[in-house]
Amino acid sequence: MSDAHDDSGFVARRFVVAEFATPSGLLDGTTRVREAGYKELDTHTPIPLHGLEKALGLGRPKIPAIVLGGAIAGAVIAYAMIYFCNVIDFPINVAGRPIHAPPANIPITFELAVLLAGTSSFFGFFTLAKLPQPYHPVFESEAFTRAAIDGYFLSVEIPAGSDAEKALADVRAAGAASAELVTESER
Amino acid sequence: MAAPNPAVVTPDPLEPFPLLEGKHTDRTINDSLLDHVWRGAGKGWWALFGCALSALGLLVIAISWTLYKGIGVWGNNIPVGWAFGIINFVWWIGIGHAGTLISAILLLFQQKWRTSINRFAEAMTLFAVICALLFPLLHTGRPWFAAYWLMPYPSVQRIWPQFKSPLTWDVFAVSTYFTISLLFWYLGLVPDLAALRDSSKSKTKRLVYGIFAMGWRGSGRHWAEYKWSYLLLAGLSTPLVLSVHTIVSFDFAVSVLPGWHTTIFPPYFVAGAVFSGFAMVMTWMLPAREFLGLKHVVTMKHLENMAKVMLVTGMMVTYGYVMEHFIAWYSGSPYEYSEFFRVRQHGPMSLIYWLMIFCNCVVPQLFWSKRARTNLLVLWFASILINVGMWCERFTIVITSLHRDFIPSKWENYSPTWVDFSLFIGTIGLFSTLFLLFLKFVPAVAVTEIKELRHELAHDPTEPVGETH
Repeated sequence: MSDAHDDSGFVARRFVVAEFATPSGLLDGTTRVREAGYKELDTHTPIPLHGLEKALGLGRPKIPAIVLGGAIAGAVIAYAMIYFCNVIDFPINVAGRPIHAPPANIPITFELAVLLAGTSSFFGFFTLAKLPQPYHPVFESEAFTRAAIDGYFLSVEIPAGSDAEKALADVRAAGAASAELVTESER
Repeated sequence: MAAPNPAVVTPDPLEPFPLLEGKHTDRTINDSLLDHVWRGAGKGWWALFGCALSALGLLVIAISWTLYKGIGVWGNNIPVGWAFGIINFVWWIGIGHAGTLISAILLLFQQKWRTSINRFAEAMTLFAVICALLFPLLHTGRPWFAAYWLMPYPSVQRIWPQFKSPLTWDVFAVSTYFTISLLFWYLGLVPDLAALRDSSKSKTKRLVYGIFAMGWRGSGRHWAEYKWSYLLLAGLSTPLVLSVHTIVSFDFAVSVLPGWHTTIFPPYFVAGAVFSGFAMVMTWMLPAREFLGLKHVVTMKHLENMAKVMLVTGMMVTYGYVMEHFIAWYSGSPYEYSEFFRVRQHGPMSLIYWLMIFCNCVVPQLFWSKRARTNLLVLWFASILINVGMWCERFTIVITSLHRDFIPSKWENYSPTWVDFSLFIGTIGLFSTLFLLFLKFVPAVAVTEIKELRHELAHDPTEPVGETH
């Protein structure tokens, strides 16, 4: 399993995919592998585990800020739209009622704020996660089909040029029940 | 007490029904909840699907006829300008609200029992909102021309929608509601679709579910953002669901018509919506848990809790009725008084009024009794009666107020035509068709969340669960 070079310049990424027997074992193992100096770590679990962020050493989630931005944008766009239509572009005086009537603008402002906040939450997540992504090297592992069902996996990307066997041994030493090397295939 | 026999355990009245019955691992939960997707459709499914498709055919005929002839083929005419179109719209939207309540509000309140029914109820929301949207669209007569007064787009006529009208608010509210419900439902479904992909036996199924799963690999980095994305969508849905039915009630409440012009409408509409929505979840859940093998996740506790919610919201609706009548009398307005105490109770539509009172105020009182709450037949028939009652409520509000207003010379009776009935039955067909397809192709219960629940319960000694991992 050496670096697979070919004419196109494609360099296959190599991963250690390891299965842990229990969720807590996975969390401990992840922490240990991370502390051993590996940077490109990821866990693959059927459910979100408490303490995952800490084990992976992740920072604050970005979604809340994106959603807040969406909500503010939605509210501003909605109010500006109504103001433009009713006050600037086509003011109509109906029985002396105010042209600019803030209470009547609340529902649409609120709805559009929710709409943009919700869509930015959804599309923000898929953008951050870089999904849809039909192929990922971890899918090369036969055992990996259990990751969405009942398996608790850790994947470690082996830095280019470093020893795969050492990485495998390090992951095994962190408590993995089984571990294997997978290599990205060229499409 | 005689020699205790461990096989026959008398239920302890203080011990709650379990949320998950039996011993489970992630794998058994996965297999039992996905089983109904892999199993071929049975005769019962095909029979129901046939009925649903026939009703859907009726919808196609009714819509085609409406579009061909114009909405003159409906029974509504001045003074009853709103009739089946708006009754069914409000009824369907209300049914949808239980889905959002279960999935969003109960999530925020950390009610663990929601997990077993949320996916089911969310799907119901989507399909109910589709049915609801059809009615106002068709009521515009020529929907392809209606765009310019529904949505603000710069048309050559240079005019804009009336932003001070609740009907325009409705357009924004309902379309936002549909979009957010769809995104929330799909986001929750992605890990389950990955589970479907990875447990599929055939290559085609693996490919199809794989496309919808979008390459989900349960990544911890994804979960960290996913949890927030899901939670925030729930948080957004909560005020959304309240605002949608509030705005729907504004369609009536901001007018001056006796019977509509009341400030109690928004909360009373929201309570009614949740009431009818839970009834609809119950109507579908009872057969579904029986035939899809979901009894271990939708336990008696879930059914009892749903019955309790129906009891509470039924009482809120009853309070709404009482207050409407009280204010009609207390206001001193002869029109209001006449509307509530003469027209509704003794007028030509009084049968529907009394049916509403019976179904919405009397029937839910059954649920004070634990025996009624745990009897499947009682639950099922009561839930159907509540749906009927809520439809009667919308009929009473819309029709009776319109057909007798201030001047007797404007009074006119109303009778629906075959097109009205066909559209209504047709949307039930559309809803049932979509729902049956959902039950066939997508797990009816949120598999991932049930697995999560099992792990949570394993740490909570008060809840009986199976072995831990």
